[in-house]
Amino acid sequence: MKNRMRVLRAEKDWTQAQLAAQIGVSRQAVIAVENGKYDPALPLAFKIARAFGKTVEEVFLWEDGA
Amino acid sequence: MNRVHSDEHHTGIRQSHSYLPFLLVLLVASAIDLTAFYLLDRIDLSPPARTGAALLPLPGNIALLLMILRRIRRLDEFQKHVQLEAVAVGFLATGVAVFIYGYLQKAHAVGPLNMGLVWVFMLVFYAIGYFAAVSHYK
Repeated sequence: MKNRMRVLRAEKDWTQAQLAAQIGVSRQAVIAVENGKYDPALPLAFKIARAFGKTVEEVFLWEDGA
Repeated sequence: MNRVHSDEHHTGIRQSHSYLPFLLVLLVASAIDLTAFYLLDRIDLSPPARTGAALLPLPGNIALLLMILRRIRRLDEFQKHVQLEAVAVGFLATGVAVFIYGYLQKAHAVGPLNMGLVWVFMLVFYAIGYFAAVSHYK
């Protein structure tokens, strides 16, 4: 699963630590999700999307065969 | 946005401020452990008193266990994932190590297994599993 977190974070001018604090997770979690190394569960995906003021589909992009 | 901020209270952010109670319980439990060890090793006690001394560390260790569980429940989902991998590596690798040790013992290559060594295996393999998981998800 791909995501647009890095781009959206840059648009908001947030650091990974700031985003982590906003959604209430560790910075490690933000790094892992942003790098596509860890796919978040639905509650975290919604939190991330809402922090950016977007829908889940606008932040996370499902790829067939992923 | 306010709701997003309020979620911090259910995650790993707050836990960084709660090391002190854990360390205090760890300290007290360790002191009780050492006292029990001293009583059993150095003092001539009656059999019921020896049983009592042997069970002395139980409440402190249960308190530690509960505090660790509480901390695990406060971790965010990613940290729980990392912990799961670390614990799985620690558990399985310790099993393999004890298994191999048993064969080495049968071959008279090593002496009887010291239970303290099992703890060392577990801690070392848990640490390896933790760092492997963290570097895997970086």
